[in-house]
Amino acid sequence: MKSVADSLMWIIMLCRFVYIDTAMIRYISILLLSLFSFVMPVCTFAENEAAEEEKAKIDPKSIIFEHLGDGYGWEVPFNHHKRIPLPVIVIGTDGLHVFSSARVTHGQVYKDGDATFMIAGKDSDHHGKIVEIVNGKEERPIDISITKNVCALFISVIFVAGLLMWLARHHKKWNYKAPRKGLGAIEACVTFIYDDVIKATLHDKARKFAPYLLTVFFFILGMNLLGLIVVFPGGANLTGNIAVTLVLAILTFLVTNIWGTKHYWKEIFWPDVPLWLKFPLPIMPIIEIFGMFTKPAALTVRLFANMMGGHMIVIVLTLLIFIFAAVSPVAGGATTVVSVLFSLFMLCIDVLVSFIQAYVFTMLSTIFISLAQEHEHEKEEKKEEQNTKPVAVAVK
Amino acid sequence: MDLFTPDFGLIFWMFLAFAILFFILWKWAWPVILKTVDNRADLIDKGVEYAQSAKEQLDNARESAREVINEAQRKQAEMLRDADRMKTQIVEQARAAAQVEAQKVMDSAKMQIEQQQKEAQLQFRNQVSEFALQIASKVVKNELKDQKAQTQLVNSLLDEIESK
Repeated sequence: MKSVADSLMWIIMLCRFVYIDTAMIRYISILLLSLFSFVMPVCTFAENEAAEEEKAKIDPKSIIFEHLGDGYGWEVPFNHHKRIPLPVIVIGTDGLHVFSSARVTHGQVYKDGDATFMIAGKDSDHHGKIVEIVNGKEERPIDISITKNVCALFISVIFVAGLLMWLARHHKKWNYKAPRKGLGAIEACVTFIYDDVIKATLHDKARKFAPYLLTVFFFILGMNLLGLIVVFPGGANLTGNIAVTLVLAILTFLVTNIWGTKHYWKEIFWPDVPLWLKFPLPIMPIIEIFGMFTKPAALTVRLFANMMGGHMIVIVLTLLIFIFAAVSPVAGGATTVVSVLFSLFMLCIDVLVSFIQAYVFTMLSTIFISLAQEHEHEKEEKKEEQNTKPVAVAVK
Repeated sequence: MDLFTPDFGLIFWMFLAFAILFFILWKWAWPVILKTVDNRADLIDKGVEYAQSAKEQLDNARESAREVINEAQRKQAEMLRDADRMKTQIVEQARAAAQVEAQKVMDSAKMQIEQQQKEAQLQFRNQVSEFALQIASKVVKNELKDQKAQTQLVNSLLDEIESK
C-alpha cells in the first residue's frame, strides 16, 4: 500500500516537473485516485489478513444508529478510539454530578463521590445512555449532559447568530446599501423568507411574527447544513433528531395558540357547523382540538424524517463499501467508486433538501400562525390561501 | 427505538439554545435587518415613482420647450413679415415723398417757365408794339406827306370815335 502511495506521489511530482498544466494534473489525479481506490482494497487485503477478520465483524445496524443518534463524545476522523470529551452533567440520586465523558466513553465505571456511573451496555434498556448504578441496578438519572448533539446545537447557535449579526452590522453601517457576495446570499435568504413567505401570508402582522419565523428558518438551515459536514464542527444529526424537531414544533404550537385570536378559539370550540355536530356530542370541537395537535406533530415528523433519511442514505452508501470489501476485494473496489459517487450525489441533494426543509418548516409555521390570526371578515381570503399554499409545497 | 424517543437533556438544551438565539437575534439582528429591508423596499418604490414623475416632467418640459420654440418661430416669422411690410411702407412713403418733391420742383419749374413765357410775351408785345409804332410812324410819316390823305385819316379816325 505504501508503495502505491509512493508511486502516486512520484507521478504527481513528475507531472509538475514536465509542466503539465493544473487542469491536466487534476484530471490525472482523479484518474489515479480512482485507480488507487480499485487497487487499494486488494493491496490491503494482501498485506493484512487480520483486517479481514475485523471487517467481517462489521455490524451495519449499530454503526448506522450510532451515527444517527447522540453520543457522550465527539468522534475524531480516522480514529475510532479517540473522542473529543464533552462534559457529562447528571442529577443522580444524591445531587448534581459533572465529569468528563472521557471517563466513561469505553464502558468504564466511574465513581463520582458516592455515586457510580457508566454508559449502559448493548443489552440494557438504556442502551448507550449514562446510568447510575444504585444497589446493582441501572437507573437513569436526570441527564442534561453536553452531548454531541447539544454541542452541535451550541455551534449552530453561534454559527447562525454570527452570520446574522454580521448581516445586521453591515446594515447598520451601510444602511440600505445591498450587501454583496456571501452576505448578499444570506440577505437573499432573509428577503426570500420575509417577502415571499411571511409578508405574503401574514400581511400586516408580518413584522410581529417575522423575528420568530426567520429565527426558526435560519436555525434549521444552519443545523441542517452543519449536519452535512462530515467532521468535527458538523456531522451531528441534529435536525434528524426528534427532540430538536419536537421543540421547534412545540414553539410554533405555542406561538400559534398564545397569539391566537378570539375567532380562532371560537372556530375550535364552537365552529360554524350544524348544531348536532357540536351539541350535545362535541364531535367537531374534538376534531378541531385533535387538529391543533396534529399540526405540530406533522411539523416534527416531516423535518425529522427528511433529515434523518438523508443522513442514513449517506451512511448506508458508505457502509456498502465495507460490506462488499468483506465479501471480495474487487467488489469492494468497484463499490467504493459507485458509493462515493452516489454519496456525493446524495450530499448535493441533501444541501437542497436542507434548504427546502427549513423553508417548508417556516412556511407551514407561518400558515399555522396566520390561520390563528383570522378575524371574521378575513375568513374567505385566508381559506383561499390555505388552499393555494399546499400546492406550493407539492411543487417544491 | 432509540431514534423515536426524544431525549430529555436534548429537549432542555434545545429550548435553552433556541431561547438564547432568539433573544440575540430578536434584540440585535432582526430589527436592524428588517428595518433596512423594509426601508430599502420603500426607497426602491419611491425611486421608481420619482423616476416616473421625472420622466413625466421631462416629457412635459420637452412639450413646453417645443411650444416655446414654436412661439418663437411664429414671432420671428411675424417680425420678419412686419419688417417686410415696414420696408415696403417706407419705400412707398419715400417714393411718395419723392414724387411730391418732384411735383413741386416741376410745378415751380412750370411756373417759372410760364412766368418767363409771360415775360417773353410781354417783351415780345412791347417790341412788337414798338416795332409796330416805328412801322406805323414810318408809314404815317409816309402817308401824311399828302394833305388829302391826312384829312381822310383824321376823318376816318373821327368816324371811328363817333361810332363808338
